[in-house]
Amino acid sequence: MKRFAGVLILLSVTLFMVFFFLLPLSGTFRMAFMGPQGGWTLDYLFEIFRNPLYLEGLLNALTIAVFSTLGCLFLAVPLALIFVRYEFIGKASLNGLLLVPLILPPFVGALGIQAMLGQAGALNSFLIAWGVLSVNAPIDWLGRGQLLGVILMNVLHLYPIVYLNLSGSLANIDPQWDDAANCLGCPPFRRFWRVTLPLAMPGLYAGCSIAFIWAFTELGVPLIFDVERVTSVQIFNAIKDLNNNPLPYALVVVLMGLTLLLFFGSRAFFRRDVAGGEGKATLGRALIPLTGWRGWLATGFFVAVVAVALVPHIGVLLMALSKDWYQTVLPDQWTVEPLKKALGHPLTLTAIGNSLRYAFLATMLDLVLGVAVAWLLVRTKLFGRSLVDGLTMMPLAVPGIVMAFGYLALSRSGQPLDWLMMGEDPLMLLVVAYAMRRLPYVVRSVTAGLQQIHPALEEAAESLGASPIRALWRVTFPLVMPSVLAGGLLAFAFAMLEVSDSMILAQRTLHFPITKAIYALAGALGDGPSLASALGLWAMLFLTITFVGTGAILGRKIGALFKV
Amino acid sequence: MRAIDLQHLSKRLGQRLVLDDVSLSIAPGELFFLIGPSGCGKTTLLRHIAGFLVPDRGRIFFDQEEVTTWPPHRRETGMMFQNYALWPHLNVDANVAFGLQERHVPSAETRLRVEEALHQVQLGGLGQRRISELSGGQQQRVALARALVIRPRSLLLDEPLSNLDARLRLEMRLEIRRITKAFGLTAVYVTHDREEALSMADRMAVMKDGRLLQVGSPKDLYQHPNSLEVAAFIGEANCLSGQVLGATEDPMIYAVETPYGRLLARKPQEHWQPLPRTEVHLMLRPEAIRPGTPSPESNGFYGTLVETLYLGASVQYRVRLKDGVLIQWLVQHPRGDLRTEGESLWLDVDSTDLLMLED
Repeated sequence: MKRFAGVLILLSVTLFMVFFFLLPLSGTFRMAFMGPQGGWTLDYLFEIFRNPLYLEGLLNALTIAVFSTLGCLFLAVPLALIFVRYEFIGKASLNGLLLVPLILPPFVGALGIQAMLGQAGALNSFLIAWGVLSVNAPIDWLGRGQLLGVILMNVLHLYPIVYLNLSGSLANIDPQWDDAANCLGCPPFRRFWRVTLPLAMPGLYAGCSIAFIWAFTELGVPLIFDVERVTSVQIFNAIKDLNNNPLPYALVVVLMGLTLLLFFGSRAFFRRDVAGGEGKATLGRALIPLTGWRGWLATGFFVAVVAVALVPHIGVLLMALSKDWYQTVLPDQWTVEPLKKALGHPLTLTAIGNSLRYAFLATMLDLVLGVAVAWLLVRTKLFGRSLVDGLTMMPLAVPGIVMAFGYLALSRSGQPLDWLMMGEDPLMLLVVAYAMRRLPYVVRSVTAGLQQIHPALEEAAESLGASPIRALWRVTFPLVMPSVLAGGLLAFAFAMLEVSDSMILAQRTLHFPITKAIYALAGALGDGPSLASALGLWAMLFLTITFVGTGAILGRKIGALFKV
Repeated sequence: MRAIDLQHLSKRLGQRLVLDDVSLSIAPGELFFLIGPSGCGKTTLLRHIAGFLVPDRGRIFFDQEEVTTWPPHRRETGMMFQNYALWPHLNVDANVAFGLQERHVPSAETRLRVEEALHQVQLGGLGQRRISELSGGQQQRVALARALVIRPRSLLLDEPLSNLDARLRLEMRLEIRRITKAFGLTAVYVTHDREEALSMADRMAVMKDGRLLQVGSPKDLYQHPNSLEVAAFIGEANCLSGQVLGATEDPMIYAVETPYGRLLARKPQEHWQPLPRTEVHLMLRPEAIRPGTPSPESNGFYGTLVETLYLGASVQYRVRLKDGVLIQWLVQHPRGDLRTEGESLWLDVDSTDLLMLED
């Protein structure tokens, strides 16, 4: 019975991954390497590196990635060090606020940044009003070609990822290791370099590689800033003439290749002297309370980072609540018109409905697959389950834009997956694409939850007369529920905010999800940008409510559930 | 009450033979202990009785009915797990009521029986508590109540006291014995704590490497172990070696030639007839040794005291014999001065306390 279920799961998940993950990728690769008369060729690949436009795009993408990562480090390292070691006023709530940028879509934030820091934005208007700046020579804060804007937005969106990973690693450092170094005569500053940093390396590395790859392949932010010469945007623009042109395929392969190279290359480089990660702190660290001006300094630093991180969102909020906000510090006229209109506009209304539909179905798919795979991995010893483990983790290593492109290529008529495109409706395509992107997270979340449940809890139920199915239903299921809910929530939130797949796969206005509708509105004339902001604001609000609400429900339960 | 009968059970897990032809009969109402070092197969045997494992070979009977391949939920056995396995998402009442709900007992009766069960383990009034709000000892009692409330026909206990502190452990020993007797339960109890087994068991089995070494009452096993392994596992044991000379007038008492002279020793089983010159072990409990003076009739040997360990209620001496062998000597309730290290003295042993065991 158990064995049969295991084999069934193993086969169907493998089939799913082969069809919807490996096939789209291989399709892209085939197009990139296949010559006009059949046979293999590397010409297209070389063409990418000969073409100055593509080269500039790659260079810009790299620049954005490097500086975004450095910016994240600049914010996250001091934050994490202070958080792990010290106690200060408002620590808990500030820590929560630091994570807020994670749940807000970066390319909506980009609209806000433009409103605040653009040439005719709030900051310049403020400086002009105080006479620091001349009306005729405003400063371009976002830099030539807007690259600075893209980097700034990436940093403000991605630093929580580095912060979370680093502080997790730091919290695992046994205080006794520090004390030991101290006793041996190592002063604090050298201790940081010789003990703390090497031990925190795994977390730092994990956070940085996620941030780097994200920034390297990010599509939404450069699109809003109108940065054309960046690889992701070049791929996006190339999908219009996909039929006979192999160059977009080659470009995708190059992007993917570089991503993997950077990912594994840096890992090989960093792992050489990474010794941490094995240990777990045996003692809780005694937090040092910061009092007086030191305490206020720490609080102030956290407040400052939160304030800066919220600039884009404040910008979005102001845009959504104003009429013709231009060349003034704060809007002249306040109105809720765009907010109302965003809920009445035909484009936004269908987009909200579409997104809810796509995201809901994708989440359901993720949960079914995630729960099945987690059960297979934790509760069976079936041969081949490590294969499933590896397969379901692979989407982590592939940039969203690469996957989206693969789906698009394979769903054109005559291609193996064209049946996914039901007529013109990308519903199935988007559901599969969204689900695939978040599957690794759901699998991880549920697996972790299931591992916490000792098999004896199920056996106890069986010895009391519950059949294996009943034991699963009455004991395992309620206990693993928080992890399932957390994984599902994450999958849902990210599906609502997915950019790459949405931009590339939804072609007709009728099928636009929220993100693509925002993009379309942002580029429209008239009240487009403020409508886009209003829609973005609604999306942010909706997600915040979802997160806070579930957090409240779970929070109460989680606390009680895991205090065994 | 139910008789449990195991016939020729063998089980291989991976490369290891974890049960090797185990046969055992447990009488109705008996409190039976499985004891042995970790990895000896005692928990594996218990899990076969519970139904979590099915033997590769052999059969399991409950009261003449074969249950070898029955799933656990049909076996009507209560089980107590090592870490209690209480469900953290249910409160005390719901944990205890679980088995009754699976049996579709009406809710009014369920309430009554849960209350009664909690009362029996002295947890009345704590039904609404969360599991995390209970102490280790209380969790222990909830686990017991949960196993008993379904009125099982047998109770299986897998090292149930190993996570409790020493004082609580003593208290729970009495409690568990009292309850199993009051319910008339056939109980199988796994432990590696010999004191627990000796103090509670009606009968017990010592296991090693998947085999049963010896089965018997605690007194039997302590006083008449049939191998050095059993002797050493059940209590402290000194081991001397020698060669059989022959039987005396008493057919159970043999003369044995040792490096310390001729000693009289008892053989554990009647049917064993060792021939002269057979190499044997002589097992001697530390507390069976007495100081004395040598005479032609005395059964004993000289030794030199090399180490003293004062324990309050007793003193443990370590004595070196002529050939360098070290033995333990335990003096209960020591009075007067302790003996000095380096002292040479004569030690007397009763011939019935010196047990002759096969090499």
